Amino acid sequence: MSQWLANVIDRASSVSDWLSPARQEALTRLKTTSWPTRRTEEWRYTSLHALANLTLPETSTVKVMAEAPVVAGLNSIDIVFVDGQPTTDITSLSLPAGVTIHSLATADEAVQQQAQQVFNQVKPDAHLFGMVNDALAQQGVFIDIAEGVQVEQPIRVVNLVSDGVESHNRVLVRLGDKAQTTIIEHGAGQGGSMNTAFAEYVLGTEAKLEHYRFALHGEEAIHIGGSHFKMGESSRLNSTIVGYGSQISRIDTDVVHAAEHALAKMNCIYLLAPKEHFDLHSVIEHVVPNGTTEQNARGIVGDKARAVFSGRIHIHRDAQKTLAELHNRNLLMSRGAQISTTPALEIYADDVQCAHGATIAEIAEEDLYYLQARGISRKDALIMLNFGFIQELVSQMPNKALAAWLEPLLRERFATMES
Amino acid sequence: MLSIKDLHASIEGNEILKGLNLNVKPGEVHAIMGPNGAGKSTLGYVLSGREEYEATSGKVEFQERDLLELEVDERARAGLFLAFQYPVEIPGVSNMEFLKESVSAARKERGQDPLTAAEFLRKAKAACEQVNLPLDFLKRGVNEGFSGGEKKRNEIMQMIMLEPTLCILDESDSGLDIDALKVVADGVNSQRDGKRSFIVITHYQRLLDFIKPDFVHILADGKIAKSGGPELAKEVEASGYAWLEDHEETNA
Repeated sequence: MSQWLANVIDRASSVSDWLSPARQEALTRLKTTSWPTRRTEEWRYTSLHALANLTLPETSTVKVMAEAPVVAGLNSIDIVFVDGQPTTDITSLSLPAGVTIHSLATADEAVQQQAQQVFNQVKPDAHLFGMVNDALAQQGVFIDIAEGVQVEQPIRVVNLVSDGVESHNRVLVRLGDKAQTTIIEHGAGQGGSMNTAFAEYVLGTEAKLEHYRFALHGEEAIHIGGSHFKMGESSRLNSTIVGYGSQISRIDTDVVHAAEHALAKMNCIYLLAPKEHFDLHSVIEHVVPNGTTEQNARGIVGDKARAVFSGRIHIHRDAQKTLAELHNRNLLMSRGAQISTTPALEIYADDVQCAHGATIAEIAEEDLYYLQARGISRKDALIMLNFGFIQELVSQMPNKALAAWLEPLLRERFATMES
Repeated sequence: MLSIKDLHASIEGNEILKGLNLNVKPGEVHAIMGPNGAGKSTLGYVLSGREEYEATSGKVEFQERDLLELEVDERARAGLFLAFQYPVEIPGVSNMEFLKESVSAARKERGQDPLTAAEFLRKAKAACEQVNLPLDFLKRGVNEGFSGGEKKRNEIMQMIMLEPTLCILDESDSGLDIDALKVVADGVNSQRDGKRSFIVITHYQRLLDFIKPDFVHILADGKIAKSGGPELAKEVEASGYAWLEDHEETNA
């Protein structure tokens, strides 16, 4: 066991609230869990060395960031956490009818009961940091969208972390049948911090969720978290995850097709330099027939940065007529950049349509020729095509305000990688 | 403005152009017709500088410069425009971004000031209207999900924006219905100003009903087999290309 984990167990033992039974269970398991090494399959390409002996306080007087990043035209309902503590008065939010948002820390018994139907119902129980989050996350929100309610205004949970602080957050979301909403998990920070952030989503029958997760922490940060989805019958998920990479950045995104005819579209974009690390793990479980999954992860890796992609689509014996696609494409901008990618399909049903693949991309000569034939220099054409490689996924984001906000940020970041 | 002398060109070692001669003066419209495989598209690619198409001998002068010495993008900035028969789709690059970049490169080369955002948008809007493309296409990826006809009209739209001195249209009529064909032809005709020159490559005479050429050349087996006025196109329309074989026999 690492010093850090020993500290976690120590601290968590004194936490007492309505989630205590779940925390105790996590603690019991954490005590017998061994610290991952390079030989641990799940952490093979992501070293936790930098975390092993880290000790950071859970509060700080120095708040590097206190304001949520402004996204022009987004007009979102914002719930802001700074270093794990809410700075938004959740009780005074003005919410559309059918939308309820509660702080986990102050949830009354009725809310507790509802939240229990999401808490740990979706997230895989074996994730080390998921258990850490179970044990330590005292702050978070429970968002409930009532049956049939279509929420126009996006709901954004902003999670800001300051230099030198450790924090843990939880987001629980329940979409009733035919409910429709947009949820943005917006993580950002500066300096060296440690944060775990896990979100669980339960989608009702014919519910529609547009989901974004931005992991835009600094290069010194350690950020580990996950977004986990349980699909109801004929529900729709459109998820986009964007990562800058950090000292350690690891995001798990998992989908369980628990009922038939659900569709999960999942895009992920990462743009890494100079020594950043980004690890995306994904497990899609097709338990029942007639589910569809489309997953596209694309990244540009420069300088001495490293990207890890591990995607697995597991099609169970009964999951006939599953349509599943899993693609990971990467562009390496320098000799020192690295990508470790393992897309995998595990199929036990015999009547499915599946495709998967991973590539280290090359720019098509034909595309270059076309741009050059319009007077654009080869150098400029290469920049356009390289950036175009991830821009394609940005332009697929259904929320145009978010896309318009993100594009220049990525472009600016990309420009520094070009030189 | 363009002078091609005894041009030979190969792709992967196969000689396609076998001594082609052509002179184009400012303001002229030359139609190049010919059967499939005669080397029509190859001519367009060689002039634009496509890598796999190698000019093995001969000389091409464009605006008093040795064209074959220039890179693809230099040729374009020098004022040569090729409207592609099969334009590629580039999903991640928006039409807007692409056009801005290419227009500003062309203007810079001509010593013109860059367009302001408003000027650019006004021009782009007018050009879109002219070729009947919806304005929101500017936000989409280059040719992404476009129909064959939209791709061809997009080529003409780019031509209007770039204001080149020599336009080579590579089968801009193929796959178009009569209405789309008229849109393309009108777009081209609007750019005829007495100085700008055109090489219109086509398999069928149909396009030439709408774009009136000054000269018609029949390309066969890598050479100009016959040149004449617009009446030559009518002749092809009536009798096809079968006579070319007789012609070659007489030559032999």
